[in-house]
Amino acid sequence: MSALPRPSLTPAFESARRGDRSRVGQLASAARREWRVAPFTARVSVLCLLIFYLFAAASPLIAPYDPTHQYRNLPDCPPMRPHLSAPADWPHGMLFAYPMKMDDALARHFVEDRSRKIWLRFFHRGHFLTTESPDDPCFILGSEGLGRDLFSRIVYGARVSMCIGLVGVLISFSLGISVGAFSGLVGGRIDNLIMRWCEIEMSLPSFYFLLALAAVIPSGMSTVATFFMIVAIMSFIGWAGFARVIRGMAASLRSAPYVEAARALGGSRTRLLMRHVIPAVLGFAAVNASLSIPGYILGESALSLLGLGIQEPASSWGNLLAQAMDPQNIEHYPWVLIPGVFISVAVMAFNFLGDHLRDRLDPANFN
Amino acid sequence: MIRIRAVLFALAALLLAAGCRVNRPPNDHAATQTLYDSMSSDPGTFNPLLVTDSASNAAIGDLFESLVRINPQTLLPEPGLAASWALGDGGKTITFHLRHGVVWSDGVPFTSRDVIFTMRTIYDPKVPNSTVSSMLIDGQPIAFAAPDDYTVVMRLPRPFAPLFYSVGFPIIPAHILEPDVASGAFIHTWGIDTPPGKLIADGAYLMTRYVPAQQLAYRRNPAYWMRDGSGGELPRLRGQVRLIVPDQNAQYLRFMVGITDVYSPRPEEVNGLRENAARLHITVKDVGIDTGSLFFVFNRNPRHYVAGTVTNPKYKWFTDPNFMRALAHSIDKQGIINLCFRGLAVPAISDTSPENKIFYNPNLTPYDYDLNRAARILDEAGYRMLRPGVRGDPDGHPLIFSLTTNTGVPVRDQMCAIFKQDLATLGIQVNYRPLEFISLVKALESSFDWDCVLIGFGGTIEPNDASNFLRSSGNLHVWNPSQSKPATPWEAEIDSLMDQGTTVMDERQRAPFYWRIQQILHDELPIIETVRQAEYIAYRNTIVGYNPTVWGLYKPEWMEFRAQ
Repeated sequence: MSALPRPSLTPAFESARRGDRSRVGQLASAARREWRVAPFTARVSVLCLLIFYLFAAASPLIAPYDPTHQYRNLPDCPPMRPHLSAPADWPHGMLFAYPMKMDDALARHFVEDRSRKIWLRFFHRGHFLTTESPDDPCFILGSEGLGRDLFSRIVYGARVSMCIGLVGVLISFSLGISVGAFSGLVGGRIDNLIMRWCEIEMSLPSFYFLLALAAVIPSGMSTVATFFMIVAIMSFIGWAGFARVIRGMAASLRSAPYVEAARALGGSRTRLLMRHVIPAVLGFAAVNASLSIPGYILGESALSLLGLGIQEPASSWGNLLAQAMDPQNIEHYPWVLIPGVFISVAVMAFNFLGDHLRDRLDPANFN
Repeated sequence: MIRIRAVLFALAALLLAAGCRVNRPPNDHAATQTLYDSMSSDPGTFNPLLVTDSASNAAIGDLFESLVRINPQTLLPEPGLAASWALGDGGKTITFHLRHGVVWSDGVPFTSRDVIFTMRTIYDPKVPNSTVSSMLIDGQPIAFAAPDDYTVVMRLPRPFAPLFYSVGFPIIPAHILEPDVASGAFIHTWGIDTPPGKLIADGAYLMTRYVPAQQLAYRRNPAYWMRDGSGGELPRLRGQVRLIVPDQNAQYLRFMVGITDVYSPRPEEVNGLRENAARLHITVKDVGIDTGSLFFVFNRNPRHYVAGTVTNPKYKWFTDPNFMRALAHSIDKQGIINLCFRGLAVPAISDTSPENKIFYNPNLTPYDYDLNRAARILDEAGYRMLRPGVRGDPDGHPLIFSLTTNTGVPVRDQMCAIFKQDLATLGIQVNYRPLEFISLVKALESSFDWDCVLIGFGGTIEPNDASNFLRSSGNLHVWNPSQSKPATPWEAEIDSLMDQGTTVMDERQRAPFYWRIQQILHDELPIIETVRQAEYIAYRNTIVGYNPTVWGLYKPEWMEFRAQ
């Protein structure tokens, strides 16, 4: 049994951690180096994720309109294209769009009204980019069935969809690491008991279990409360498998020379756990976390798609996609699939990033 | 890089798969003269006297006949199992002459014994059924007797105008079911586990197969009494199949690919069907306006809001005419029509549909959508803004209530979202929480734990059939059901108008009573009407003699597939 090596990114991170030099400068140069060695997919993934988290953090600034405002004469309006205006018009605005008008309510057919321009303004009315007046909207990704701006709803939906993974992973991994490491270190009957319990939880058919639990969420709950209920349910399902792997690593670390040495020096069990075992498994945990976030995003989307997750009028990428359950909508208003693109991109980004982290932290790749 | 290539490959495979077309073999519906239709849910019972849900009604509607039937085009009674009838004693005695030569599907002839048995069962207190309420006249049952095998005489306590609509109950076979009624087992008789062959019927079709969650199949009743003009057998179809498809999208797709022959499209499907009518060889027919009514109702039940000396402020709001008037002005009916119904609906003003040509009151003034006016009404009645975005009642309670409807109906979700948004503009906070249909019914009928509900009721040709809803004692008098005595003067007036309306025999003279009821509901606003959908039916061009109306099929026995 050989000890697992301590995880390590580039040595600069290590020295930054030790606080040798100016931390910020160290981290920045480490980040630059990581960026340089990262493959194309990982770079794109990081950029996408940064953008999505920016959506979540600054939704009111980035969303051009109130995500619940209904433009009742513009339901299922197709995406409008912003045009670059002629230099002479730049005092009005550099970008403009032509307003849409519904010419057939039954077919929900729209025509561009070329006689009038609606000007787009940067940093106007407290938004990054919006139209001059909120009564003349420009839907860059189209609108949904009640005439609400799809882009604004996606931006606000990022709050739920992007955060659910982070919060979920935080809960299930802190639970998984502490229970798994403790179990592996202690061993014996307690270990046996905890692991059998984990196996029981893992043997539950997770998606159906999720559906059953989500169905008992009281329907009158607020969006925030529903969000945390869903996170709690998904973490509850997710931690057991992870705890088992950590337990295996901890059990092998128990007999590692440096742990034995620490024990021989009289280190308490808590100290062994906190100082030697948990730090040794953190690298694996980081990789696993980034690879399991997509599961949370997809889980929330599936629940909200089926109407058991985030409720209207609040938005999440999952409940926005619910409109695409109707084949007619896909046929006539293909832009209802756009939230699905965001889900796919986020999931792929986390997967590529996780892959890259795994490669970087693999001891076989250290030179 | 390999991974990117794999992703691209998967995408390409998906695109290829999406481009494939499946050629289905043409169906044999026309060759076998079998009409395929779809329905949303499984029936609850096959017992015609115990039916309460529309799925059961659809499942056995063609199996059992009644004394008189209502013509859906003229809305007038026509002979059914009774070949003719005569009124006597100033309208207090009706003699029905039964049709000769009608036989049950086991070969036993139909006689007056079956009619007497059915009426006795309806009045049997041990048999809970919804037919009995419309067959009581001032609380008195109708007296009946059978002088011979083919005559039934009914004696009424007083002349009763809706009688011919009340005697539209299905007749059940006495020789089969008498023992069950005698033993008290009737409420379990003919449940959905009964083998279809044991359902002894006399209607146009006989059930041959029921596979739960799959389909109901019927074949023509060879002994059916009706004949066409030249003596040919009716019905012309040899069979029918009703597929049970809970998902509306799936129903639509089944019609599109030719698995079913008729389909009632949702508004958003009408345009696509019309545009492709020639290619699909279908006809999309405008049937008319919804006969029912879809409304927001507010709880006025003191049993829910008043506990001892404490009255929930909501009770005061929902019984305040000014509050309700403001809410009636904040329903964007045109917005609802455009957003939820694609323009295929009309604003509803009265609780009675304009399709009810006899009893609809055309003289009501609509409540226009005007949020400024609604705000003014609220301000003047003392409901002032407590702080920006929050309005309070005169005692300072913020205006917050819950809004419910049944889950799984996107149109209703959207209507509630629109209403919620407009009330938010007025500073009224609405908490929207849809409930499963069963839970919603329970809340309305027994727990009374609700504030505002969006609900739809089916329409009736005869307004007296809506007694359950209109009378203060009715169990579907949703805002305050099953009252022992009318809680308000206007509810008392509706009760008395309902009584008076049945004493006059001529329909033109009866109408004003029911117009007055519509006026009262319009003024007092226990319910706020929304819109009525324009109904469409799409069917294959190979079907001839298919005449749908909002009140049902006209001459359904004549429809058939055209010979090819």
